[in-house]
Amino acid sequence: MTPTHFAFSSAFILGLTGLAFHRSHLLSALICLEAMMVSLFIALSLWTMQLNSTNFSASPLLLLAFSACEASMGLPSLVATARTHGSDQIRNLNLLQC
Amino acid sequence: MDFIMYLVLFSMILGFVVIASNPSPFFGALGLVVLAGMGCGILSWHGGSFLSLVLFLIYLGGMLVVFAYSAALAADPFPESLGSRWVLISGVIYLVGVVVVSSLVCGDWYEVIWVVMDELVDFSVMRGDMGGVALMYSWGGGMLILSGGALLLTLFVVLELTRGQSRGALRSI
Amino acid sequence: MSPLMFSTLLLALGLGSTVTFSSSHWLLAWMGLEINSLAMVPLMARPHFPRAVEAATKYFLAQATAAAMILFAGMTNAWMTGQWTIEMMTHPLPLTLVTLALGLKIGLAPVHAWLPEVLQGVDLTTGLILSTWQKLAPLALLLQLPHGNSPLLIILALSSTLIGGWAGLNQTQLRKILAYSSIAHLGWMMVILQYAPSLTLLALLTYIVMTSSIFLLFKLNNTTNINALATSHTKIPVLTLFAPFILLSLGGLPPLTGFMPKWLILHELTMQGMGTLATITALTALLSLYFYLRLSYSMSLTMSPNNLLTSPLWRLRPHQPTLPLAISATSATMLLPLTPAAFLVR
Repeated sequence: MTPTHFAFSSAFILGLTGLAFHRSHLLSALICLEAMMVSLFIALSLWTMQLNSTNFSASPLLLLAFSACEASMGLPSLVATARTHGSDQIRNLNLLQC
Repeated sequence: MDFIMYLVLFSMILGFVVIASNPSPFFGALGLVVLAGMGCGILSWHGGSFLSLVLFLIYLGGMLVVFAYSAALAADPFPESLGSRWVLISGVIYLVGVVVVSSLVCGDWYEVIWVVMDELVDFSVMRGDMGGVALMYSWGGGMLILSGGALLLTLFVVLELTRGQSRGALRSI
Repeated sequence: MSPLMFSTLLLALGLGSTVTFSSSHWLLAWMGLEINSLAMVPLMARPHFPRAVEAATKYFLAQATAAAMILFAGMTNAWMTGQWTIEMMTHPLPLTLVTLALGLKIGLAPVHAWLPEVLQGVDLTTGLILSTWQKLAPLALLLQLPHGNSPLLIILALSSTLIGGWAGLNQTQLRKILAYSSIAHLGWMMVILQYAPSLTLLALLTYIVMTSSIFLLFKLNNTTNINALATSHTKIPVLTLFAPFILLSLGGLPPLTGFMPKWLILHELTMQGMGTLATITALTALLSLYFYLRLSYSMSLTMSPNNLLTSPLWRLRPHQPTLPLAISATSATMLLPLTPAAFLVR
């Protein structure tokens, strides 16, 4: 395990912990998802660069395109939720619980 | 040189700690900007200048949009700033956790050589990642089409999710 | 939603799963999963209700987290072993991570909490897609993984059958009951995954047949809770007589189709010398059987207080095509003689 490997692994796990445990705003959850995708982007490009396998270095761009899809998927659901539920607090999303 | 690298890595983790400790979305966006900038530093240090540029442009451009949304939608009367009690406590807990885990796995770290890509090739005009990314237009054409299709699909999805009287961002008067 | 948009989204749904089926590389598999969940969310938010929007948002959050975890596991494997192939993920740490993430995607028990809520918020057609087609791509990935002799799958499976049976006891909403039944059936698929993957496929196939027939039946009946089931006799009398067989087939009683995967799985488990596990799994199926029995009791074994037993004319005839329901209901009850003998003679 190199320090960079440790750095992005702990970064991803921090983002996942923040997403899983305490979120008050839906927007904060989306920001956490974005941060997780950034750490994956950094990891993927560092993998191609450290192994000098430059043929693979188009794949971080593809990852970035898909994470942009995900982010732009999250914002309209945020808008729709804010319109139907009044605010973007996650604790307002309680219509469906048992 | 190694010292700056460690500093940049630590600053990136600090940005993640800011995000993970649940402040208001303004400060979360700030942490995202910090970690994207530090990620650019890491990538360019390792020789991926083009990927670093892409990350910088897309994330800082995209974060502007997210920041606008957060300013428009998440209007807290009492925002949780970075100095608030629970934000500070959980941030400190996360930092201590990262430091403890890193000191636990520190013995397993093998010797660090920050190999910069194409460092051993003298007088190279092109960076390796540029050549690699350009392969997306020849051999990786299928993946390019797939990503383009996914982006187009996202356009339709966004249109479909926010269409109508009761779900769009602007209220119908 | 316009038909053009609807068909585009359905095509993208199919495309995403197909990309995942045909990929051997983690990045491409992740892309397929992303396209799949991208196309699913507007289908879920199709009716303009707060419940549907909330279900779509929750589904998006769970799926995006699971997809990011899958990619992180693939990345960790690549950093540790230099290998991106799905079948070569041999390091135990990323294997555990990706099993948990795929469990989150299909709703296995310790990470199942989104599934009943999301299924409660969508309409029955989307619920049918969610509980059949959306399970296929993550299960294809789970089948390709090189599980050694991992206790993680056993833990996931046992807790799924237990929680799927236990938490469904308390429900009166049909879609939540179906969600818990889905969790329990997925637990049955997981318990055999590392010993006989073909049995997992068989269980998945029979589950898809049975659950699509029950979803189509409720759709035809237009019911979403147990109370409304009481009117089904005046509406569709023949299907009301037939419904307990479908429900008990889901529960796994002998002369019906649902007995086949449970029988073969228990047989295989005892052949592997795990009698205790087989016993516990069979006992947890009784919990699920209780709520299937309750559904069939309130649907067709009791006569609701009604003074005329013929079909009243004030209900309009349903416009839904009934051929899929006929086919799936027939095969959900009568496929037991087609049990592959190859599983029994070994």
